[in-house]
Amino acid sequence: MATKETTDLQVLVDLKGMDKTIQDIKQKAQHLIEISGGMQCVDRNVERILTSVKMLELNISDVVEFLD
Amino acid sequence: MYQLKGVDKYWNPVLETLPREKIKALQFKKFKRIVEWGYEKSKLYRSLYDKAGFEPGDLKKFEDIRKVPTLQKEDYREAQAKEPWPYGDSLCVPLEEVTEYHQTSGTTGQPVYQPDTWQDWEWWNESWAYILFSQGFRNTDRVFIPFGYNVFVAYWAGHYACEKMSCEVVPGGILNTEERLLKMKELRANALMATPTYVLHLAETCRNKLNMDASELGIEKILCAGEPGALVPATKKRMEEAWNAKVYDHVGATEIGAWSYECTSQPGGMHVNEAYFLVELVDLETNEPIEEINKPGRIIITAFDRMAQPCIRFDSKDVSMWGEDCECGRTFRLLKGGVHGRTDHITKIKGVLFSPISVEEVVRGIPELGDEYELIVSKRGDADHLTLKVELVPEASNKEDDVKQELVRQLRLKTNLAYQIEFHPFDSLPRYQVKARRFKDTR
Repeated sequence: MATKETTDLQVLVDLKGMDKTIQDIKQKAQHLIEISGGMQCVDRNVERILTSVKMLELNISDVVEFLD
Repeated sequence: MYQLKGVDKYWNPVLETLPREKIKALQFKKFKRIVEWGYEKSKLYRSLYDKAGFEPGDLKKFEDIRKVPTLQKEDYREAQAKEPWPYGDSLCVPLEEVTEYHQTSGTTGQPVYQPDTWQDWEWWNESWAYILFSQGFRNTDRVFIPFGYNVFVAYWAGHYACEKMSCEVVPGGILNTEERLLKMKELRANALMATPTYVLHLAETCRNKLNMDASELGIEKILCAGEPGALVPATKKRMEEAWNAKVYDHVGATEIGAWSYECTSQPGGMHVNEAYFLVELVDLETNEPIEEINKPGRIIITAFDRMAQPCIRFDSKDVSMWGEDCECGRTFRLLKGGVHGRTDHITKIKGVLFSPISVEEVVRGIPELGDEYELIVSKRGDADHLTLKVELVPEASNKEDDVKQELVRQLRLKTNLAYQIEFHPFDSLPRYQVKARRFKDTR
């Protein structure tokens, strides 16, 4: 149960590419609602997907324009 | 490509290590977004802004934030007296989109009702994930939450953030204190969340009722919230020694969100999650903004991403001060000493500016005294009178005179005031499970 020791692990990431993927997921999820015919088992679960996508936007997409 | 440092150290290494000027740019973008939302969707904010002659287009640069009128808790209460019940004019989304209900404790009057959409609720949990990750919570942890799971938001979002982070979370809801301790022991929980008052009460119950030592239960880290204490050095020391665990503070509020956290560096303060919140400190008398360190100010706070009932330039009445940078590498600023108290608790006694938290530091720093105390300010004739009720721990029951002398001396040094000291039998002062009410001003 011991907490893992932290290190300054460094990695390179493509944040603009991540943002594009986030927008693609959002678009596809929204499309699912458009074609669901109002099925609640689809719409409600897609709403949850979109909420998680929103958290990705808050964590990644919102800041991309300010990064070099 | 963007080089990230500390991917295993920060929940969000992009935002938590962002250079200051970029944090400010991000904050201004998000501030404008939530002000526009409030102005468009909320009768409460529209009315507040119209009365002040402000509109969102007036926000041209960061400093213009100060043009936006502050919101008082009373504004929520008035707006919520209207339809649709129970949120009235403060609601920004159709009622059918609200999925979560919580309310404030009502300590300062009529409770404020807090609606959240599913997205808002996810945002709460996300905010808590920043807190927990910074305090070393990981997917290997088994977290025990001894909380009543009721209308108060308390540790609800802590619970769901644990799930999000893949910790194993044990809801210690309806169990009594002894049952909770036994369950922690049985399951070998290694982390805990509770108010400082309850953390100490658990340790005391463990010792006195179960004949066990809390320090042997295997708890490694404790997240405290709900009241000051975890950043009062003497209280933190008591908790850490009682449990042989690291104790970390967090401050949040129902109508604001989970906005600050102490990290594992334990820098004597708390980081503001500045990607999700804007914290402004203003002078206690002039309301001028405070940017320098070590100067006390009142906290005005904005939650950037809360949509059902936005919190924009909310006057929290809490008092704190900016501190120096933290060694943990986060660029989110530190509030030194966390929240020091509330402006409505900081009062003048015999002409001296007084904060009740300074008494806690003295009482908890004297090992012969128990964890509980009560402080009462009253009037005797025209003069203010301070009564401090304390308990001696059983093993120091014959040391009343010595302890009294030391208590009076330290209180005089710390607060420049005289007190009538009353010793009460051990375990006779009120014990609290959530927020303690130890300070009573009866003047």
